[in-house]
Amino acid sequence: MFDTVLVANRGEIALRITRTLRRLGIRSVAVHSDADTGARHVREADVAVRLAGGYLDADGILAAAAATGAQAVHPGYGFLAENADFARRCAEAGLVFVGPPPEAVEAMGDKIRAKATVSAAGVPVVPGGAEPGDDLAEAAGRVGFPALIKPSAGGGGKGMVLVRSAAELPEALASARRTAAAAFGDATLLIERFVENPRHIEIQVMADAYGGVIHLGERECSLQRRHQKIVEEAPSPLLDAETRAAMGAAAVEAARSVGYTGAGTVEFIVQGATGDYYFMEMNTRLQVEHPVTELVTGLDLVELQLRVAAGEPLPLTQDEVRLVGHAVEARVYAEDPSRGFLPTGGRVLALREPPGVRVDSGLMAGGLVGSDYDPMLSKVIAWGKDRTAALRRLDGALAATAVLGVPTNIAFLRALVGHPAVLAGDLDTGLVERHLDELVSREDVPADVLAAAALVLHREHAPAGTPADPWDVPDGWRLGEAAWTVHRLESRDGVCEIRVRGLPASGAEVRLPGAEAVRARLTEESGGEDGDLLVTLGETARRYAVARDGDVVWLGRDGDAWALTRHHLGDPGDRAGAGGAGDGLVRSPMPGTVLVVKAGEGERVAEGQPLLIVEAMKMEHTVTAPIGGVVAELRVRAGQAVAMDAVLAVVREEES
Amino acid sequence: MSGWPVLRSACDPGGEGFKRNAEVNERLVADLRERLAVAGLGGPEKSRARHVSRGKLLPRDRVDSLLDPGSRFLELSQLAAGGMYDDVAPAAGIITGVGRVSGRECVVVANDATVKGGTYYPITVKKHLRAQEVALHNNLPCVYLVDSGGAFLPEQDEVFPDREHFGRIFYNQATMSARGIPQIAAVLGSCTAGGAYVPAMSDEAVIVRNQGTIFLGGPPLVKAATGEEVTAEELGGGDLHARVSGVTDHLADDDRHALRIVRDIVSTLAPRTPSPWERVPSEEPAHDPRDLYGIVPADTRTPYDVREIIARIVDGSRFGEFKAEYGATLVTGFARIHGHPVGIVANNGILFGESALKGAHFIELCDRRNTPLVFLQNISGFMVGRAYEAGGIAKHGAKMVTAVACARVPKFTVVVGGSFGAGNYAMAGRAYSPRFLWMWPGARISVMGGEQAANVLSTVGDADPDAIRAQYEEQGNPYYSTARLWDDGVIDPLDTRTVLGLALSASANAPLEPVGYGVFRM
Repeated sequence: MFDTVLVANRGEIALRITRTLRRLGIRSVAVHSDADTGARHVREADVAVRLAGGYLDADGILAAAAATGAQAVHPGYGFLAENADFARRCAEAGLVFVGPPPEAVEAMGDKIRAKATVSAAGVPVVPGGAEPGDDLAEAAGRVGFPALIKPSAGGGGKGMVLVRSAAELPEALASARRTAAAAFGDATLLIERFVENPRHIEIQVMADAYGGVIHLGERECSLQRRHQKIVEEAPSPLLDAETRAAMGAAAVEAARSVGYTGAGTVEFIVQGATGDYYFMEMNTRLQVEHPVTELVTGLDLVELQLRVAAGEPLPLTQDEVRLVGHAVEARVYAEDPSRGFLPTGGRVLALREPPGVRVDSGLMAGGLVGSDYDPMLSKVIAWGKDRTAALRRLDGALAATAVLGVPTNIAFLRALVGHPAVLAGDLDTGLVERHLDELVSREDVPADVLAAAALVLHREHAPAGTPADPWDVPDGWRLGEAAWTVHRLESRDGVCEIRVRGLPASGAEVRLPGAEAVRARLTEESGGEDGDLLVTLGETARRYAVARDGDVVWLGRDGDAWALTRHHLGDPGDRAGAGGAGDGLVRSPMPGTVLVVKAGEGERVAEGQPLLIVEAMKMEHTVTAPIGGVVAELRVRAGQAVAMDAVLAVVREEES
Repeated sequence: MSGWPVLRSACDPGGEGFKRNAEVNERLVADLRERLAVAGLGGPEKSRARHVSRGKLLPRDRVDSLLDPGSRFLELSQLAAGGMYDDVAPAAGIITGVGRVSGRECVVVANDATVKGGTYYPITVKKHLRAQEVALHNNLPCVYLVDSGGAFLPEQDEVFPDREHFGRIFYNQATMSARGIPQIAAVLGSCTAGGAYVPAMSDEAVIVRNQGTIFLGGPPLVKAATGEEVTAEELGGGDLHARVSGVTDHLADDDRHALRIVRDIVSTLAPRTPSPWERVPSEEPAHDPRDLYGIVPADTRTPYDVREIIARIVDGSRFGEFKAEYGATLVTGFARIHGHPVGIVANNGILFGESALKGAHFIELCDRRNTPLVFLQNISGFMVGRAYEAGGIAKHGAKMVTAVACARVPKFTVVVGGSFGAGNYAMAGRAYSPRFLWMWPGARISVMGGEQAANVLSTVGDADPDAIRAQYEEQGNPYYSTARLWDDGVIDPLDTRTVLGLALSASANAPLEPVGYGVFRM
């Protein structure tokens, strides 16, 4: 076994690999980009080396390995994990690449070649026929309907035609051929069976250098949005033991067919109604969702990877693989479901990660979530003796998670794992999109959250300890009835006026617009984590994670989080008619960089006219004028980094 | 912590008398709260609606927004002009008081334009001047939130010409500014004629665009005088004064913006002067202040031990009594209220020569020691009769009156019961310029009791005793007093400790003059 291993990755996966290294007594070497200098994976490794060129800097990684005496490189997933050239360069440098041989990576990297290879090994692939070898009408009869006609030279869905019956076929073929010829200059077509609303089920395989190949059962990853997996589980609620064994055997054959070693995943699409499964592709790396397999098998896949890479044989046979219970993983992303899943970012002001379940996380209180990398922050993985128990524990764990400072999809995840179709195990890859409206909360900030935020702000006016001077007591005392203090808090719903009087610590009242005053009390949660507050409104007490960032109060409860910005008296946002779009404040929709500034100060603009473009996560977001008027202030220039909701410009209505 | 003993209480919350008193006093306080709530609304519903529809904040909201979030506000004479002017001028159309702005205690004067356009009735002028006096005595910055049409013209003879009339407002601004007491104005509405001088005489002034106006003569007067036709905004609006005339220094978009600017101005003021006395950590009274309702007799003529009150307003109920065995009808001693040192002078019966001498001595001690004085007034007068006149009670009384008049430490007077005759003078009545004077709802104030007056007047003339009694009953009522600003307000007995604490802290802003003489042993 190695004594030093370099982990060529970042975030949760780097930390997860480091944990196994530490358990095995192996020294860990982290690498980091400049943006990740203070990141958690850097802090928790034994040694860390800066990469001038980021995580794709192969030269830097090899130099770091040489400098630190690492004998192996674990690439994690993403970045260089499926880069055959890098694997070869490692070998040339005398380093062990913890992964399959470069040839296997290449064989599986070419999708068409991969299909041909595994098909030859007897693994089912989606039935179809391709020109010039096959006659498509004849093939269609064999494949059945519905079927999909694709241009051979195509990609990205262009020119694809769905055919639901034999009668439609001639016209569809003619049409597809015209499109293919026009678009790609090549009229060659292929036809495949169209699998409607398929399920995504994948088999984990493990192979050693001595011909030993086993599978560790399946994972179902049907809960996806735009091909991004969200929730994964093991085992699949669809498969029976027989199918599992058959699919497992097929996956093992697929791995053998390319001389695979190490951990790999063979992905299938499965027709839910019939149970028919077809090979899709093989991922030649550790998968994000590998923990669910670990929880039901009791194995450490990273350890197995390392042992195989170090030349050890697999320590167990297929018969020794036992699946116990059920595990479900949910991926926490820095994204905002209510804004079309736009990536978010910011500084983690407070972090609560749930006890009693597995959390693979790269998060750290005080850490910065930027737009440089993948927005996945952590994975919460729950195990239960059956699927229902696992889902219930996962939901509880998500409810106990709070990431303040960075908007996340946790509330969306909770809605998803609680959805009836998910609970019933009735999954397919279209489920999330079909139910998006139910899953994405469009609700206003709840009343209790507004009240709690106002109490948090109100409490800050009181000096610590017993005030010496009666003027220091901010209880709004008057001769007669005490006065309300108005707190103006801005959320996405606009500006809300919340009135507080009395002292939150010993007894206060809160009044929301259009509601009766309620008694309120705010107490520091003893025994809880720092910054947790217990807020009693009327008869109901709720616990919140609380964090402050200047004028922004972050509150988290039940997995959800809200940011409320305080308006000071007389601020632009506090003026008459402020709030919503009417205030003329132009804010950044996400953290990123200003790419283009299209308007100048003093310029007259129409409502909806593009003012700036903010770039983040390689997407360009056009920011438009909320109202017609004159650009009164332009606070940013091109190239400037901006935080989410930062005020970029102010448009003022022209005085008539 | 002082070593003064904790006062013992003989009060029996289960007793019949206690319950009877509590019932009466709670009714009096409920009546007070009702009056405060009504006066607090300001002008008629329609005027308020019109005011708000113009994008203006109601005057109380202006004050609340100006003050630090959650700040307490020691309002002055909320029930001014009650029962006067056909009751059309709640609070005399002006809100005054002490509150915290940007961490600094300030006197706030806010016109209520929903009351007769914020015009000045005679009592309005008196209330404005009293607020300025509070600022002067306690060295507190003044913030004027101006929204007023100027003098109430039908009563111009009671508003305009005399020494303590409208002109005195600007005299005070000039002389206070000269003494280093900042004068800040926000023009949130009209500032017409004489009113124009409020911002003009201020150290720094803010005006709201399209809302505030300042001019010596409004558009109708201009047209009449010169034939010139001009709009109010052109004549004296925010843009004119901020850009052209320079009468104001800051231009605000609306009320809130203007108040924000005022807060920013206050944050630039020179630091406050250090407190003339030392404050220690505060301690709640050992005896429950709620018992006051049951302790204070429903009938002011019923005697009780004033130490029961002291025990419920001073820190830890600790009281270091002075000359306990001498002149027992006046209780004197040292205590602390919200950590401030105080000398308490409290009536425990009629004043005799000895009690007056004791009072004079104690007041001199407090003055020497920079210890503020708190007077708890419940006095039917000095003892009368041949033996007492022959014993020189007049000269003994004079000693106490002299000591009260000349003491330079802050004096605070709470009329907890009767305030009759020369007792009022010896116990720091209004004429002796206590920094503040408050009345409890059950208090009475007049030159003598109604009964005595009826006897005297029907003996020396042919007055109708019933009519005299009725007159004294009406005029001796605390609401009659507070309407005319003979006091700074009627307070719930339970608020006494808070009110005194706030006032003591406010008064600590003013430095003390040196004392002229040593302590005379009487």
